[in-house]
Amino acid sequence: MTAVRSLLDWCSNTTTIVFIRDSSFGMPAVQSVHLVGLTVLLAAILVLNLRLAGAGMMDWSLPAVERQLRPWAWGATILVLASGGVMFLGNPAKYLANVSFQFKMVSLALAMLCQFGLFRTFFRSDPGVRRRAMNIVVAGLSLTLWFSVGWAGRIIAFV
Amino acid sequence: MSVLSWCQWLEQTSLAVAISESVWLFPIIEGSHILALPLSVGMILMFDLRLLGLAFQGGSASRLMHDVLRWSKFGFAVMFVTGALLFMTHASQAYENVFFRTKLVLLLMLGINAAAFQIVFYPKMARWDAGGGTPLGARVCGVLSLIVWIGVIVCGRTMAYQL
Repeated sequence: MTAVRSLLDWCSNTTTIVFIRDSSFGMPAVQSVHLVGLTVLLAAILVLNLRLAGAGMMDWSLPAVERQLRPWAWGATILVLASGGVMFLGNPAKYLANVSFQFKMVSLALAMLCQFGLFRTFFRSDPGVRRRAMNIVVAGLSLTLWFSVGWAGRIIAFV
Repeated sequence: MSVLSWCQWLEQTSLAVAISESVWLFPIIEGSHILALPLSVGMILMFDLRLLGLAFQGGSASRLMHDVLRWSKFGFAVMFVTGALLFMTHASQAYENVFFRTKLVLLLMLGINAAAFQIVFYPKMARWDAGGGTPLGARVCGVLSLIVWIGVIVCGRTMAYQL
């Protein structure tokens, strides 16, 4: 653990991170990238779940919606991860000690576990083969998890 | 009454004071303003991608528009109410902030852009609904929307840093 901490401390003192953290438009720019990424990523997840629940995008099959949105969702993921990483490295100790940040990381892990593990078959097959109530429950759970990641992120600034 | 003194009056209203002084109201309102982004702006961007032929090929554009607008209308309602409440708490600072002013100009541009699409291109949408062949003008509306919405997000985030 101490090795990880000293690596984080070293990263947080690199000229790039210090420059972004201490310049007056560095952090707003990084946070803007984070928000643009969040907008696209959560919108893609919303569209996917609406299709799963049978509440729109019915011209395309669920796997087709997933395929069309995949490059945009991954692009947005890169934006969110890169900007989030820079924010975190600006002050690692502050984030690690923040209860809302801890909650955000746990929700993120859970959301990914569900998306790519538990609910995987739901997003890879035709929703018509299952009862609609089941699809709605899964879509609701998935959206709740992903949006709680966003909420936890916003609350970091207030606790 | 000047705009600035109206802003100062707005900040003194009991509603604005209650929001500013509450421990949870401000975070909840600000959080709702940000988490409504995927619902409002995000859904519009999904339709812009269709206009530009970058996603949702092979299906009806007007049905997709109907599907995403249903959610984005709700998202924009949340945006407007929470945005107005946030503005009340920092009205005079926001009024004098260059990023807030830019954000309002960009929103006005987006309103005109959306109205132009609705009036000029929406009525003839059936002609290019299924296939490619999206008119150049409709594509221009899509590009403008995509770029200017990102500008709105950048201005909104940056102004919050300066208040």
